[in-house]
Amino acid sequence: MPDAPEASIPAASQRGGYSAEARMDSPSAEAGVPAFRHSRLQRLADRWARLGFLACSLLVVGLIGGILFFLATRGLAAFLPLAGNTGRVLSFSEVFLSADWAPSSDRFGILPFIAGSLGVTGLALLIAAPAGVLTGVFIAKMAPAWMRNLMRQVMDLLVGIPSVVYGIFGLTVVLPLVSRTWLEDAPASGFAVSALILAVMIVPTIVSLSTDAFESLPSSLDEGAQALGSSRWQAIWRVLIPAARPRLLTATVLGLGRAIGEAMAVQMVIGNNPQWIALMRESTDRAPFLRALFTPAATLTTELVQELPNTAAGSTWNNVLFAMGLLLYLLTMVLILATRRLGRGREA
Amino acid sequence: MLIPTVPETKPIKLSVRDMAFSYGQKKILDGLSMDIHAERVTAIIGPSGCGKSTFLKCFNRIHEVSTDVKVSGDMQIDGVDIYRGGIDVVDLRRRVGMVFQKPNPFPKSIYENVAFGPRLFGVQDRTTLDGIVEDALRKAALWEEVKDRLKESATGMSGGQQQRLCIARALAVNPEVLLMDEPCSALDPIATAKIEDLIGELKESLTIVIVTHNMQQAARVSDYTAFFWLGKLVEMDLTERIFTTPRVQMTEDYITGRFG
Repeated sequence: MPDAPEASIPAASQRGGYSAEARMDSPSAEAGVPAFRHSRLQRLADRWARLGFLACSLLVVGLIGGILFFLATRGLAAFLPLAGNTGRVLSFSEVFLSADWAPSSDRFGILPFIAGSLGVTGLALLIAAPAGVLTGVFIAKMAPAWMRNLMRQVMDLLVGIPSVVYGIFGLTVVLPLVSRTWLEDAPASGFAVSALILAVMIVPTIVSLSTDAFESLPSSLDEGAQALGSSRWQAIWRVLIPAARPRLLTATVLGLGRAIGEAMAVQMVIGNNPQWIALMRESTDRAPFLRALFTPAATLTTELVQELPNTAAGSTWNNVLFAMGLLLYLLTMVLILATRRLGRGREA
Repeated sequence: MLIPTVPETKPIKLSVRDMAFSYGQKKILDGLSMDIHAERVTAIIGPSGCGKSTFLKCFNRIHEVSTDVKVSGDMQIDGVDIYRGGIDVVDLRRRVGMVFQKPNPFPKSIYENVAFGPRLFGVQDRTTLDGIVEDALRKAALWEEVKDRLKESATGMSGGQQQRLCIARALAVNPEVLLMDEPCSALDPIATAKIEDLIGELKESLTIVIVTHNMQQAARVSDYTAFFWLGKLVEMDLTERIFTTPRVQMTEDYITGRFG
């Protein structure tokens, strides 16, 4: 469906410039009577409008393609001797399979950032997906009408809050609170608080989409289950959630996409420590469980924000950062494609 | 209100006395009384919006899924008030099964659809479940068509098969009463004929109450027919009498198509 406009515009303009719709819809065309034609001026305006739309869509496609091309050439420069590349050519394994990140000593293992991104995102989903889906059930199937309307509007508002606001909240409220309450004033930055902030950020998206998913289910399913003797909860758990599963997965994947790409909010609370794997392994001052949750860490996005401005274009360091950007881009693409697939599964 | 005056050998299964139903401020049903006999098919006819479906849904209290409704008067199953305080709604719904207007199979396999009710009531043993599923599908005249594809999704079946699956699903918990809310309105004539044959077989062991828009259907399948108009029972009698010599002019006008 997305490529339909590009495909149909040139095809239509080759037909001599008058509206294809007018020709097809005219019942007289079949009877051999000349088709209805617009005035000269209208046809001219029509042709220019088509050109305008075509130009706009080409611009958008071009921009997206351009970004991918730019990212790919700069990112792949870390591994290939491309023109203008002043940095060292690295092997895939010393970048993707090494946890040793020390750019000043020429060591570029990005495993800590990949693990950091996956860890924070996974943890955030673990909190946000059940909370979001159950809130969706509540709004769609249990709340009285006035509350349903209120909750929907609140969720839509929350989706629009800029991520930096969540970051400030995390930095000035959650971090000190956690540190004071559970950690005897030791710093609380790390996976736990980052995942919590991310979860709060993506819950509204998941709630919104799950509510839609449950509202779009025919009420006959609910009635059918209850007519067989299901309790409210059994009907929800055994029939409604399974029936909505494809759309709930889509909701979760969209939340996941937002979480994995988030930089600002996470950067403000995660502690930005590229050596977190080593630190976690060596430190003994906390129980292993707490250590995993409260060791300052870093992710792909936070590291990009943190270091990109300080590196020279074309240097090895700079190239590796672009490779990280490319990786993020590809991850997001995979997620979007997965969402599409899930969405199609629903209609089948 | 006119009630049948013929001798009946079957006991009264469901009895309704002076029952009223309102939704918010709006009164949907008023002053209804009737007796429904076991192992008979009772059809409820009447124009759209006369409250037929609402009445049906009061027998298993499924209307309670939506809020803000009020039922008054007396509705009994085997002499026990179904709106009495300590009544167990889950048990009531096991005894009083329902088939809806549009087939509503769950998006699960054919097998899982039929096994849904028994599982709810705690049947876990695989062999027992297999037996219940086969039995229910046989009673619904569906077994031969689906026995080789029990694991396939129920949503891939034809509309008529889906509706018979919903009947099998209701039968799997061994109900005493089967409520059918225009069960053929979404089906083609062949599928409709199959369901009608099925109703004839099922009444051997069940009390059936069927709401229908189709007067030929009421004439074909039912023993008794009740005519509703604007939330009131106009007349109830043996089906053959309703369709040949109704006692109320309005009934005759309706069944001869003069209004409605």
